[in-house]
Amino acid sequence: MTPSHVAALVLLWAGVGFVLLSAVALVRLRGTPARLHALAPASCAGVPLIAAAVAVDQGPGRAAVKTLFIGLLFAVGGTVTTIAVGRASRQAEDGGAE
Amino acid sequence: MNAWTAAALVLLVVAVPACGWVVSRGTTVRRLAGACLLSTVTGAVFLLLPRAYSRSSYQDLALVLAVLAPAGSLVFTRFVAGRSEDRDRDGGT
Repeated sequence: MTPSHVAALVLLWAGVGFVLLSAVALVRLRGTPARLHALAPASCAGVPLIAAAVAVDQGPGRAAVKTLFIGLLFAVGGTVTTIAVGRASRQAEDGGAE
Repeated sequence: MNAWTAAALVLLVVAVPACGWVVSRGTTVRRLAGACLLSTVTGAVFLLLPRAYSRSSYQDLALVLAVLAPAGSLVFTRFVAGRSEDRDRDGGT
């Protein structure tokens, strides 16, 4: 087992752990703002770590850069989506809508 | 079964049902939070499975999802916010 393979496995299971943490928090936490906070570990740490694990396993090259770019897209997209859902949540609460 | 397959299986067995449970209950905005996490989990699975089966071209699915999932969520969010604004307008007149 090479050091890069060990690093890939560590990154992989750390990323999976963050995604699972998000899933458990989404179920356990109550209230929309708390649930929106629960999205952050998966999108900002989980998927980028998994992408880094895949990139480390692929080795240097275009494929690894593409994989890291996908992880970055998920991080940015998740953040933007969370902000938008938070604004919609506030508008719905201000309007008394469910 | 290698580590990539095991990780994808863990996500599919634990995280996806949790997201499904959140999506199927509660208010519209709370369901949106579940849908956002579901798209993230699906993206992670789409990153893992091509590595598990050594089919790197399938990684394009994850790339497409990374672009389209936030766009879709933003469209749904716009609908939710627009409905709330319509209700405010109707109540104000």
